[in-house]
Amino acid sequence: MADGSDASSTSSPTAVEDAALQEALAAAHTAVWGYGVVGAALPVEARDPAYADEQAHRDLRDQLAGLLASRRVDPVAAEAAYALPFPVHSATDAATLAVTLEEGASRAWTWVLDQATERSTRELGVTALTAAEQRAVGWRAAAGKAPVTSAFPGLPET
Amino acid sequence: MSDPLPASLAGAVSGRPFTRRSLLVAALAGTALAVTGCTGSSGDEADAVTPAQVDQLAAQVQVQEALVAAFDRAFAAAPELASTAAPLADQARAQLDRLRAAAPGGAARSSAAGSSTEAPVVDAAGARAYLRAQVAAAADAHATACPDFSGGRAALLGSIAAGLRGQDGQLA
Repeated sequence: MADGSDASSTSSPTAVEDAALQEALAAAHTAVWGYGVVGAALPVEARDPAYADEQAHRDLRDQLAGLLASRRVDPVAAEAAYALPFPVHSATDAATLAVTLEEGASRAWTWVLDQATERSTRELGVTALTAAEQRAVGWRAAAGKAPVTSAFPGLPET
Repeated sequence: MSDPLPASLAGAVSGRPFTRRSLLVAALAGTALAVTGCTGSSGDEADAVTPAQVDQLAAQVQVQEALVAAFDRAFAAAPELASTAAPLADQARAQLDRLRAAAPGGAARSSAAGSSTEAPVVDAAGARAYLRAQVAAAADAHATACPDFSGGRAALLGSIAAGLRGQDGQLA
Protein backbone atom coordinates (compact mmCIF):
# COMPACT_ATOMS: atom_id res chain seq x y z
CA MET A 1 0.00 0.00 0.00
CA ALA A 2 1.12 3.50 -0.74
CA ASP A 3 1.62 5.59 2.33
CA GLY A 4 3.11 8.77 1.02
CA SER A 5 0.70 10.80 3.09
CA ASP A 6 -0.26 10.06 6.66
CA ALA A 7 -3.81 11.27 7.10
CA SER A 8 -3.70 10.86 10.85
CA SER A 9 -0.67 13.07 11.45
CA THR A 10 -1.39 16.09 9.32
CA SER A 11 -3.86 18.91 9.45
CA SER A 12 -4.26 19.24 5.69
CA PRO A 13 -7.96 19.37 4.82
CA THR A 14 -7.35 16.96 1.95
CA ALA A 15 -5.09 14.56 3.85
CA VAL A 16 -7.57 11.69 3.80
CA GLU A 17 -8.32 11.95 0.11
CA ASP A 18 -4.62 12.50 -0.64
CA ALA A 19 -3.90 9.14 0.98
CA ALA A 20 -6.50 7.51 -1.26
CA LEU A 21 -5.07 9.28 -4.30
CA GLN A 22 -1.65 7.89 -3.40
CA GLU A 23 -3.16 4.41 -3.58
CA ALA A 24 -4.66 5.19 -6.97
CA LEU A 25 -1.25 6.42 -8.06
CA ALA A 26 0.35 3.20 -6.80
CA ALA A 27 -2.22 1.24 -8.81
CA ALA A 28 -1.39 3.31 -11.91
CA HIS A 29 2.33 2.62 -11.46
CA THR A 30 1.53 -1.08 -11.15
CA ALA A 31 -0.66 -1.05 -14.25
CA VAL A 32 2.01 0.70 -16.33
CA TRP A 33 4.48 -2.02 -15.36
CA GLY A 34 1.96 -4.81 -15.72
CA TYR A 35 0.86 -3.82 -19.20
CA GLY A 36 4.44 -4.28 -20.32
CA VAL A 37 4.05 -7.92 -19.34
CA VAL A 38 0.62 -8.11 -20.96
CA GLY A 39 1.93 -6.75 -24.26
CA ALA A 40 4.96 -9.03 -24.29
CA ALA A 41 2.74 -12.10 -23.92
CA LEU A 42 0.42 -11.13 -26.77
CA PRO A 43 1.04 -11.77 -30.46
CA VAL A 44 2.49 -8.68 -32.15
CA GLU A 45 -0.69 -8.10 -34.15
CA ALA A 46 -2.79 -8.10 -30.95
CA ARG A 47 -0.74 -5.68 -28.87
CA ASP A 48 -2.43 -2.39 -29.74
CA PRO A 49 -5.06 -2.60 -26.96
CA ALA A 50 -2.32 -3.24 -24.41
CA TYR A 51 -0.33 -0.26 -25.65
CA ALA A 52 -3.40 1.96 -25.54
CA ASP A 53 -4.36 0.86 -22.04
CA GLU A 54 -0.80 1.26 -20.78
CA GLN A 55 -0.81 4.81 -22.13
CA ALA A 56 -4.10 5.51 -20.38
CA HIS A 57 -2.53 4.52 -17.07
CA ARG A 58 0.57 6.60 -17.84
CA ASP A 59 -1.62 9.63 -18.45
CA LEU A 60 -3.53 9.04 -15.23
CA ARG A 61 -0.29 8.49 -13.32
CA ASP A 62 1.05 11.82 -14.54
CA GLN A 63 -2.21 13.60 -13.72
CA LEU A 64 -2.25 12.15 -10.20
CA ALA A 65 1.39 12.94 -9.56
CA GLY A 66 0.77 16.53 -10.65
CA LEU A 67 -2.30 16.85 -8.47
CA LEU A 68 -0.50 15.53 -5.39
CA ALA A 69 2.56 17.69 -6.04
CA SER A 70 0.31 20.75 -6.32
CA ARG A 71 -0.83 19.96 -2.78
CA ARG A 72 2.76 19.66 -1.56
CA VAL A 73 2.37 15.92 -1.15
CA ASP A 74 5.27 13.75 -2.32
CA PRO A 75 3.80 11.40 -4.96
CA VAL A 76 4.45 7.75 -4.24
CA ALA A 77 7.10 6.29 -6.54
CA ALA A 78 6.88 3.17 -8.66
CA GLU A 79 8.55 0.00 -7.50
CA ALA A 80 11.48 -1.16 -9.60
CA ALA A 81 9.51 -4.29 -10.48
CA TYR A 82 6.63 -6.36 -9.22
CA ALA A 83 6.00 -10.05 -8.60
CA LEU A 84 3.38 -11.46 -10.93
CA PRO A 85 0.38 -13.12 -9.27
CA PHE A 86 0.61 -16.03 -11.76
CA PRO A 87 2.83 -17.03 -14.68
CA VAL A 88 1.98 -15.20 -17.91
CA HIS A 89 2.76 -17.44 -20.87
CA SER A 90 -0.21 -17.07 -23.22
CA ALA A 91 -2.61 -14.53 -24.64
CA THR A 92 -5.25 -15.75 -22.19
CA ASP A 93 -2.83 -15.30 -19.28
CA ALA A 94 -2.08 -11.82 -20.55
CA ALA A 95 -5.75 -10.89 -20.73
CA THR A 96 -6.30 -12.28 -17.24
CA LEU A 97 -3.43 -10.17 -15.94
CA ALA A 98 -4.95 -7.11 -17.61
CA VAL A 99 -8.23 -7.85 -15.84
CA THR A 100 -6.31 -8.04 -12.55
CA LEU A 101 -4.70 -4.68 -13.26
CA GLU A 102 -7.95 -2.95 -14.18
CA GLU A 103 -9.90 -4.41 -11.28
CA GLY A 104 -7.12 -3.25 -8.96
CA ALA A 105 -7.40 0.22 -10.43
CA SER A 106 -11.18 0.09 -9.97
CA ARG A 107 -10.80 -0.75 -6.28
CA ALA A 108 -8.37 2.11 -5.81
CA TRP A 109 -10.67 4.59 -7.52
CA THR A 110 -13.74 3.44 -5.64
CA TRP A 111 -11.77 4.04 -2.48
CA VAL A 112 -10.94 7.53 -3.74
CA LEU A 113 -14.66 8.17 -4.22
CA ASP A 114 -15.31 6.98 -0.68
CA GLN A 115 -12.58 9.16 0.81
CA ALA A 116 -12.74 12.27 -1.36
CA THR A 117 -13.53 15.60 0.23
CA GLU A 118 -13.26 17.67 -2.95
CA ARG A 119 -15.96 17.55 -5.62
CA SER A 120 -13.31 17.78 -8.35
CA THR A 121 -11.69 14.64 -6.95
CA ARG A 122 -14.97 12.75 -7.12
CA GLU A 123 -15.40 13.92 -10.73
CA LEU A 124 -11.94 12.59 -11.50
CA GLY A 125 -12.72 9.41 -9.61
CA VAL A 126 -15.91 8.52 -11.43
CA THR A 127 -14.24 9.19 -14.78
CA ALA A 128 -11.22 7.04 -13.94
CA LEU A 129 -13.34 4.26 -12.48
CA THR A 130 -15.54 4.18 -15.56
CA ALA A 131 -12.53 4.02 -17.89
CA ALA A 132 -11.03 1.16 -15.87
CA GLU A 133 -14.25 -0.84 -16.06
CA GLN A 134 -14.57 -0.24 -19.81
CA ARG A 135 -11.06 -1.58 -20.30
CA ALA A 136 -11.78 -4.49 -17.97
CA VAL A 137 -14.82 -5.52 -20.02
CA GLY A 138 -12.67 -5.97 -23.12
CA TRP A 139 -10.02 -7.94 -21.27
CA ARG A 140 -12.55 -10.19 -19.52
CA ALA A 141 -13.92 -11.10 -22.93
CA ALA A 142 -10.40 -11.81 -24.21
CA ALA A 143 -9.72 -13.95 -21.14
CA GLY A 144 -12.91 -15.94 -21.68
CA LYS A 145 -14.47 -14.77 -18.41
CA ALA A 146 -18.22 -14.52 -17.94
CA PRO A 147 -20.00 -12.31 -17.35
CA VAL A 148 -17.76 -9.74 -18.95
CA THR A 149 -19.49 -6.89 -17.16
CA SER A 150 -19.56 -6.11 -13.45
CA ALA A 151 -22.49 -4.70 -11.52
CA PHE A 152 -20.24 -3.03 -8.95
CA PRO A 153 -16.74 -2.34 -10.26
CA GLY A 154 -14.37 -1.77 -7.38
CA LEU A 155 -16.85 -2.78 -4.70
CA PRO A 156 -17.41 -6.10 -2.99
CA GLU A 157 -20.07 -8.06 -4.88
CA THR A 158 -22.02 -8.76 -1.67
CA MET B 1 8.77 -13.99 -15.66
CA SER B 2 7.44 -15.41 -12.45
CA ASP B 3 10.68 -15.01 -10.51
CA PRO B 4 10.25 -13.28 -7.16
CA LEU B 5 10.52 -9.51 -7.56
CA PRO B 6 10.62 -6.74 -4.98
CA ALA B 7 6.92 -5.96 -4.79
CA SER B 8 3.83 -8.06 -5.26
CA LEU B 9 1.72 -6.92 -8.19
CA ALA B 10 -1.30 -8.63 -6.71
CA GLY B 11 -0.76 -6.82 -3.45
CA ALA B 12 -0.17 -3.51 -5.13
CA VAL B 13 -3.45 -3.59 -7.00
CA SER B 14 -5.51 -5.21 -4.28
CA GLY B 15 -6.66 -1.83 -2.98
CA ARG B 16 -8.42 -1.23 0.28
CA PRO B 17 -10.39 -4.06 1.84
CA PHE B 18 -13.29 -1.64 2.29
CA THR B 19 -13.81 -2.56 5.89
CA ARG B 20 -14.77 0.97 6.86
CA ARG B 21 -18.31 1.45 7.95
CA SER B 22 -18.88 3.94 5.16
CA LEU B 23 -18.48 1.33 2.47
CA LEU B 24 -20.96 -0.89 4.21
CA VAL B 25 -23.38 1.72 2.97
CA ALA B 26 -22.40 0.83 -0.54
CA ALA B 27 -22.16 -2.89 -0.02
CA LEU B 28 -25.11 -3.57 2.23
CA ALA B 29 -27.74 -1.23 3.53
CA GLY B 30 -27.79 2.37 4.62
CA THR B 31 -31.33 2.80 5.78
CA ALA B 32 -30.29 3.32 9.39
CA LEU B 33 -27.79 6.05 8.59
CA ALA B 34 -28.21 9.54 9.85
CA VAL B 35 -29.87 12.21 7.81
CA THR B 36 -28.09 15.44 8.63
CA GLY B 37 -30.02 17.49 11.08
CA CYS B 38 -32.49 14.75 11.87
CA THR B 39 -30.80 12.17 14.04
CA GLY B 40 -27.36 13.44 14.86
CA SER B 41 -26.22 9.87 15.43
CA SER B 42 -22.58 8.82 15.58
CA GLY B 43 -22.46 7.89 11.90
CA ASP B 44 -19.51 8.80 9.70
CA GLU B 45 -19.80 12.43 8.68
CA ALA B 46 -19.07 11.55 5.07
CA ASP B 47 -22.04 9.20 5.01
CA ALA B 48 -24.58 11.64 6.39
CA VAL B 49 -27.04 12.97 3.85
CA THR B 50 -28.90 16.25 3.72
CA PRO B 51 -32.64 16.33 3.01
CA ALA B 52 -31.82 17.51 -0.53
CA GLN B 53 -29.54 14.52 -0.98
CA VAL B 54 -32.27 12.20 0.23
CA ASP B 55 -34.43 13.51 -2.61
CA GLN B 56 -31.59 13.09 -5.07
CA LEU B 57 -30.94 9.53 -3.93
CA ALA B 58 -34.63 8.82 -4.44
CA ALA B 59 -34.25 10.19 -7.96
CA GLN B 60 -31.35 7.84 -8.62
CA VAL B 61 -33.44 4.92 -7.38
CA GLN B 62 -36.12 6.01 -9.83
CA VAL B 63 -33.58 6.10 -12.66
CA GLN B 64 -32.56 2.56 -11.85
CA GLU B 65 -36.18 1.39 -11.55
CA ALA B 66 -36.81 2.79 -15.02
CA LEU B 67 -33.78 0.90 -16.30
CA VAL B 68 -34.97 -2.40 -14.82
CA ALA B 69 -38.37 -1.79 -16.42
CA ALA B 70 -36.61 -1.08 -19.73
CA PHE B 71 -34.88 -4.45 -19.59
CA ASP B 72 -38.26 -6.14 -19.06
CA ARG B 73 -39.78 -4.16 -21.92
CA ALA B 74 -36.93 -4.92 -24.32
CA PHE B 75 -36.91 -8.61 -23.45
CA ALA B 76 -40.66 -8.86 -23.98
CA ALA B 77 -40.27 -7.27 -27.43
CA ALA B 78 -37.24 -9.35 -28.40
CA PRO B 79 -37.01 -12.68 -26.57
CA GLU B 80 -33.70 -13.50 -28.30
CA LEU B 81 -32.22 -10.44 -26.62
CA ALA B 82 -33.24 -11.87 -23.27
CA SER B 83 -31.18 -14.97 -23.93
CA THR B 84 -28.00 -12.95 -24.45
CA ALA B 85 -28.51 -10.00 -22.16
CA ALA B 86 -30.08 -11.67 -19.12
CA PRO B 87 -26.90 -11.27 -17.01
CA LEU B 88 -27.02 -7.53 -17.66
CA ALA B 89 -30.60 -7.39 -16.39
CA ASP B 90 -29.60 -9.33 -13.28
CA GLN B 91 -26.84 -6.82 -12.64
CA ALA B 92 -29.23 -3.90 -13.08
CA ARG B 93 -31.58 -5.45 -10.52
CA ALA B 94 -28.71 -5.99 -8.07
CA GLN B 95 -27.76 -2.35 -8.52
CA LEU B 96 -31.33 -1.30 -7.81
CA ASP B 97 -31.35 -3.34 -4.60
CA ARG B 98 -28.22 -1.63 -3.30
CA LEU B 99 -29.41 1.81 -4.31
CA ARG B 100 -32.67 1.27 -2.47
CA ALA B 101 -30.73 0.10 0.58
CA ALA B 102 -28.53 3.20 0.46
CA ALA B 103 -31.42 5.65 0.03
CA PRO B 104 -33.02 6.42 3.39
CA GLY B 105 -36.75 6.29 2.76
CA GLY B 106 -36.17 6.84 -0.94
CA ALA B 107 -37.31 3.53 -2.33
CA ALA B 108 -40.99 3.75 -1.47
CA ARG B 109 -41.34 7.34 -2.61
CA SER B 110 -39.56 6.72 -5.89
CA SER B 111 -41.69 3.67 -6.66
CA ALA B 112 -44.82 5.75 -6.33
CA ALA B 113 -43.35 8.45 -8.56
CA GLY B 114 -42.15 5.98 -11.16
CA SER B 115 -45.52 4.32 -11.59
CA SER B 116 -46.94 7.40 -13.30
CA THR B 117 -44.44 7.22 -16.18
CA GLU B 118 -45.98 6.10 -19.47
CA ALA B 119 -44.13 3.14 -21.01
CA PRO B 120 -42.83 3.59 -24.56
CA VAL B 121 -43.66 1.08 -27.30
CA VAL B 122 -40.66 -1.11 -28.20
CA ASP B 123 -40.54 -3.42 -31.21
CA ALA B 124 -38.23 -6.37 -31.80
CA ALA B 125 -36.07 -4.57 -34.34
CA GLY B 126 -35.42 -1.63 -32.08
CA ALA B 127 -35.20 -3.41 -28.75
CA ARG B 128 -31.42 -3.55 -28.53
CA ALA B 129 -30.90 0.08 -29.50
CA TYR B 130 -33.66 1.11 -27.10
CA LEU B 131 -32.07 -0.84 -24.26
CA ARG B 132 -28.61 0.53 -24.99
CA ALA B 133 -29.95 4.08 -24.92
CA GLN B 134 -31.62 3.43 -21.57
CA VAL B 135 -28.44 1.93 -20.10
CA ALA B 136 -26.37 4.88 -21.33
CA ALA B 137 -28.86 7.37 -19.92
CA ALA B 138 -28.83 5.66 -16.52
CA ALA B 139 -25.03 5.58 -16.51
CA ASP B 140 -24.93 9.29 -17.28
CA ALA B 141 -27.45 10.06 -14.55
CA HIS B 142 -25.56 8.14 -11.85
CA ALA B 143 -22.18 9.55 -12.95
CA THR B 144 -23.57 13.06 -12.80
CA ALA B 145 -25.06 12.49 -9.35
CA CYS B 146 -21.96 10.81 -7.91
CA PRO B 147 -19.93 13.96 -7.15
CA ASP B 148 -22.88 15.44 -5.27
CA PHE B 149 -22.40 12.83 -2.55
CA SER B 150 -19.56 11.75 -0.32
CA GLY B 151 -18.45 8.58 1.40
CA GLY B 152 -20.05 5.26 0.58
CA ARG B 153 -22.86 6.72 -1.48
CA ALA B 154 -20.41 8.45 -3.83
CA ALA B 155 -18.57 5.16 -4.17
CA LEU B 156 -21.80 3.28 -4.86
CA LEU B 157 -23.09 5.73 -7.47
CA GLY B 158 -19.69 5.86 -9.17
CA SER B 159 -19.42 2.10 -9.22
CA ILE B 160 -22.91 1.64 -10.66
CA ALA B 161 -22.25 4.30 -13.31
CA ALA B 162 -19.06 2.50 -14.31
CA GLY B 163 -20.79 -0.86 -14.39
CA LEU B 164 -23.54 0.47 -16.63
CA ARG B 165 -21.02 2.09 -18.95
CA GLY B 166 -19.48 -1.36 -19.33
CA GLN B 167 -22.93 -2.73 -20.19
CA ASP B 168 -23.39 0.05 -22.73
CA GLY B 169 -20.33 -1.19 -24.58
CA GLN B 170 -21.64 -4.75 -24.57
CA LEU B 171 -24.93 -3.70 -26.11
CA ALA B 172 -23.22 -1.77 -28.93
